[in-house]
Amino acid sequence: MSAPEPVSPLARHLTAGRYGAPGDAPVYISERQCVLVQLFARKGRGDDVASAMQAGFDLQLPSPGNAASAGEITALWIQPDAWMLVAPRGSEGALAARIKAACGDAGSVVDQTHGRTVLHISGRRAAWVLAKLCRVDLHPSAFGPGRVAVTPVADLACVLHHSDAAPGFDLIVFSSYAVSFLESLTHAALETGYDVA
Amino acid sequence: MIRIDCPYCGPRDEVEFAYRGDATVRRPSADAPADAFYDYVYTRRNPRGWHVEWWHHAAGCRQFLKVVRHTMTHEVRQVAPATTVVDVPSE
Repeated sequence: MSAPEPVSPLARHLTAGRYGAPGDAPVYISERQCVLVQLFARKGRGDDVASAMQAGFDLQLPSPGNAASAGEITALWIQPDAWMLVAPRGSEGALAARIKAACGDAGSVVDQTHGRTVLHISGRRAAWVLAKLCRVDLHPSAFGPGRVAVTPVADLACVLHHSDAAPGFDLIVFSSYAVSFLESLTHAALETGYDVA
Repeated sequence: MIRIDCPYCGPRDEVEFAYRGDATVRRPSADAPADAFYDYVYTRRNPRGWHVEWWHHAAGCRQFLKVVRHTMTHEVRQVAPATTVVDVPSE
């Protein structure tokens, strides 16, 4: 029996429309429907996991503070010898099973699709809005596309990924905190105005 | 506010870390007398100067780090992964 389809905790909290201050540089806030899989190398097996992912997915696992992509899968570094793998929604648990099959006993694989929620914020002033909530320097000279930081955002544990050069950021938070997180994010974005797609 | 240059994540603010005490204490052997265990658990030097201490990057990469901090000025001289042997600076 398969688990039920993931239900977004934000389903009733993200209503399309334009909010906050009027202006010509709003930020855009949306939820991304993703499959999230956490991959931990077992003790001393980091190189084995890296070569297994290279062989099985043609994916070179990223170094600290970075992201790497291969096909539809993006790997985010979250701690030494551990990565968060992000992919478009597919059948429940399929990606986790494929990764586990590739890594064997060198890695531990946990499907986090239900456990985490991914918000996306983009627009010219996205970094300016995020800077109110997080302590990492988001200036383009310090934090560019492809960078990842595990850091509190709005005092909640978050994986912050500079996912596109637009600029756009993915914010991966615990699903149980997603509503509270969205409230902080939209409050910070009132000043620029924000658009929910 | 202390800035700790995590060897994995780069410079981060103190609020992301949890202080975990003196990193120079060593657990006595299992057959050591009770006094040795009392010292191990409770007795600390409280120096005025350089101190090697554990900080846990709890809200970041979740690694334990050794930090060399000056207890008067809060200057951080060195941050290293947990397995690194770090000497207490004399000056």
